Amino acid sequence: MTPRLARRTRLKWDEARRVTVLLYPEGLLVLTPEATEVIERIDGARTLDAIVDELAAAHVEVPRETIDRDVRDLVERLAARGFVATEPP
Amino acid sequence: MSVLPPTALLAELTYRCPLRCGYCSNPTDWRRFAPELDPATWERVVTEAGAMGVHHLHLSGGEPLLRDDLEDIVAAGRDAGLFVNLITSAWGAPPERWQRLADAGCDHVQVSFQDVDAARADAIAGTTVHAQKLTAARLVRAAGMALSVNVVLHRANTGRVRDFIALAESLGAERIELATAQYHGSALTNRAELLPTQAMLDEALAAAREERERVKGRLDVIYVMPDWFTDVPKPCMDGWGRRFMTVIPDGTALPCPGAHGLPGMAFDNVREKGLRAIWEEGADFARFRGTEWMREPCRSCERREVDYGGCRCQAFALTGDPAATDPACVKSPDHGVIRSARAVVRGDPTIVYRADLTRRARG
Repeated sequence: MTPRLARRTRLKWDEARRVTVLLYPEGLLVLTPEATEVIERIDGARTLDAIVDELAAAHVEVPRETIDRDVRDLVERLAARGFVATEPP
Repeated sequence: MSVLPPTALLAELTYRCPLRCGYCSNPTDWRRFAPELDPATWERVVTEAGAMGVHHLHLSGGEPLLRDDLEDIVAAGRDAGLFVNLITSAWGAPPERWQRLADAGCDHVQVSFQDVDAARADAIAGTTVHAQKLTAARLVRAAGMALSVNVVLHRANTGRVRDFIALAESLGAERIELATAQYHGSALTNRAELLPTQAMLDEALAAAREERERVKGRLDVIYVMPDWFTDVPKPCMDGWGRRFMTVIPDGTALPCPGAHGLPGMAFDNVREKGLRAIWEEGADFARFRGTEWMREPCRSCERREVDYGGCRCQAFALTGDPAATDPACVKSPDHGVIRSARAVVRGDPTIVYRADLTRRARG
């Protein structure tokens, strides 16, 4: 599966609050640093497995299965709101 | 502590509107907020918003399409790094204008629908609009912008939640917002005609929940329960002077679109002062910010940082005191006002059009 961000969303750094936000029509999600690392990699080119691989390599202190579970859970929740598409356009 | 910037700027570009909806929240004496800001000032305001850390620009009114400079304001907002939302009736724009707005950088268009069929929708709008809205909504999608369908629910259409969601699906919308009328402006006059019954609301909520599951991932369904029925007040604007800043057509900067109706306020105007200075230093932005201003029962309430005391405009409209607890709250000593208003359901609703209320306001 190759997730991609819906066209109606935009990632942005909030300088005043020192957080990354995901903007969507009329609203925004305040992202944790962990969620930001995942969403930054959702580009329609990397597969879900590739994203997990990259994050596992970057965080050797965290068990791979934990990262795998958290990434899938996040992508599923974003897809339920329509912010991430998991199927080809 | 320094004040965090707002996350959203609501720019009410004009109060003029070709529609005459009887639930309009604009002030009925809107003509006194004149003249409208010129294009250069609006461009400066949205540029300042981007620089101070605002994320969302909501271009609304009235009908923002009546401003010839709308595309320039959109472009300035996009240049300033803002996510640009246009909130419109979608009526009156030539077909090619939607592509121009998309090219200028508009991200998202929220189109209002009064009902699901032309006869009923046009009766609410007081003019012929529905067919052209359908066409416009499709042009919004064709131009590559995100589309939301916005519905103001009231007694006459609350039973058609499922039909509204089907309409949004058929238009390729990504989002539908179903919100029961708030009783400000014309809606306050018409509230006995607009108020739904508890049974209608229960049914509408159940329908929205079911449909939300059905369309999950394709269409985001937002159903807003009216505060007159929830026993807790709405967290109006997410707290006064906390996340939202509104600039109305004449340039007055407000913590919420209705705040100009509150007594004893002297709001700044963007013609004379920068946006950041107004937000950070304006005495009236500080007046109800946070929880310090609260009295009982808000002051010791465990929800004080959830609903921030509710809506100041509603508190003033129903109690005469803008610092009172919002009567929508079951803990308010004035909650009886809400209970008795809910009990009044007239048999033969006759909604007064906004234009007629405007005429009355002029005397």
